[in-house]
Amino acid sequence: MIVTQLWLIDFRNHTSTELQLDSGVTLITGQNGHGKTNLLEGLSLLNGHKSFRGATSESLVRSGCEFAVIRAQVIRHRREHLIEMKIVASGRSRVQLNRQIVKRFKDLSDTVSIVVFSPDDLELIKGSPGIRRNFIDEVLLSCDKKFRLVKANFDRVIKQRNNLLKQCRGRLSKELEESLSIWNSQFIELSEVIGSNRIQLVRDIEPLVNTFYSQVAGKEEQVNFRYETTWMDKGLDQALHEIQHEEVRRGTTLVGPHRDDVIIDLNNLVSRTHSSQGEQRSLALALRLSEHAYMAQKIDDSPLILLDDVFSELDEGRSKRLVECLPSAQIVLTSATGTIPVGIHPGKKLKVLNGHISLGENE
Amino acid sequence: MYDLPVQNLIDEFGRLPGVGPKSAQRIAFYLLKLPEAESLRLAKAIIEAKERVGFCEQCWNISEEQICRLCSDIHRDNDSLCVVEEPRDVVALEKAGYRGRYHVLQGALNPMEGIGPEQLRIKELIVRLSNEEIQELIVCTNPNIEGEATAMYLARQLKPLGIKVTRIASGLPVGGDLEYADELTLERALEGRRELNA
Repeated sequence: MIVTQLWLIDFRNHTSTELQLDSGVTLITGQNGHGKTNLLEGLSLLNGHKSFRGATSESLVRSGCEFAVIRAQVIRHRREHLIEMKIVASGRSRVQLNRQIVKRFKDLSDTVSIVVFSPDDLELIKGSPGIRRNFIDEVLLSCDKKFRLVKANFDRVIKQRNNLLKQCRGRLSKELEESLSIWNSQFIELSEVIGSNRIQLVRDIEPLVNTFYSQVAGKEEQVNFRYETTWMDKGLDQALHEIQHEEVRRGTTLVGPHRDDVIIDLNNLVSRTHSSQGEQRSLALALRLSEHAYMAQKIDDSPLILLDDVFSELDEGRSKRLVECLPSAQIVLTSATGTIPVGIHPGKKLKVLNGHISLGENE
Repeated sequence: MYDLPVQNLIDEFGRLPGVGPKSAQRIAFYLLKLPEAESLRLAKAIIEAKERVGFCEQCWNISEEQICRLCSDIHRDNDSLCVVEEPRDVVALEKAGYRGRYHVLQGALNPMEGIGPEQLRIKELIVRLSNEEIQELIVCTNPNIEGEATAMYLARQLKPLGIKVTRIASGLPVGGDLEYADELTLERALEGRRELNA
């Protein structure tokens, strides 16, 4: 899959940016604060997922404007597609694929697949369980349409359930208990699907992560994944029953897939707490590389790779080994200094200055 | 921006379902341009509908009489009863050729909107079931999560009454293409497959 052309209008600090991307590697240089990452963010939104920087629509729109536009020409399986996204600061954003309205943004994942490497990826290892859950879910959402529908229903059921628990105001009347048990049955059904999908994904990527970790770290080490859940063994029905009193008291759902974690062990030690910074960084890179390999296999195509200032955080050895691991795919990378490791050969160099693009010198 | 009566009119239209601020403005200006007799006709139609139409005391469908046309029709099948969310669902089922009884819940369970069982016409349904000779109750709530929750609630409430409770099937639309069906619908359709009689 290749993005050939991108237009950004009133997107962050890009008033009107138009650029063509190389089918191989495109390097974007420029000083900090001039809009390199904004450009990558614009590209990353093309798969219909949320911003990798966790930004709201409002912050994506240039200040003082009502909406931003992202347009892109994409080639997938030799067919050209036009994506047109209108991001409204306060209101409903819209997206069209080949001039047809796309109902759900995430359905763009059927056309555009992207893997983003960012300096924040360290949080995948160091951060809270929510970040790892999100990682797993995003991969599933990107390549499994059915999971998308199940997840949307799950999010809605949990909202309804939480609302009901809040209505209890700490006391469960007989009527509310009856209602709660109704919502429980849908909650349990959807939770089981989400749980089993996540476990399957974790099983599928574990060997990939092992391979990539030893390549990036330059040494053989054992990476193990454990899906940590408090409900699967005893069954969610039982778990909900046990915690009901506490849920009513706190007015929110306390057990389920939204509370699970994926523990990543390195040599049988929990990487979150026991691994060195360097090991954590290698693990994070191995996760992203595995994400790419997994998706490529699922969708029978190579997703676009975005590297946001990744090499500045890495020592020379790791940079070199990461470059060796990068699959054949379209790559767009940013760099403040313009120095990139050997082995990367940009077919195109672009400079960003104050939200304006100019052609850098090409090799 | 506008004189008060005009703004009031626009605001009122803006509250209607499916009408955005721009459409509200357009409708308001259209009405203002209309000859007085014609706009009065609309006003009268609204008042008359509000005054004369209420809810049927038996099935809670909209009705001009205390008991609606469908409930008082003696030629209808008394054995089965369809439970639906809204009056417009009754119209849909009528078009589909269903000729039994109805019960309109006037909504579905939705904690986010503060709708619990007490806000729905469920008590009335249970009273009906003990008075009428219904053999089968068909739950025709929408196949979304709120509709499913309502269906499940009904099934549990009605179990002690010993009436056969069925759920309307979900699956592929007739005349549609398999490839355009979403994955969940297709999965349900597969689960609900039937043996072909050759």
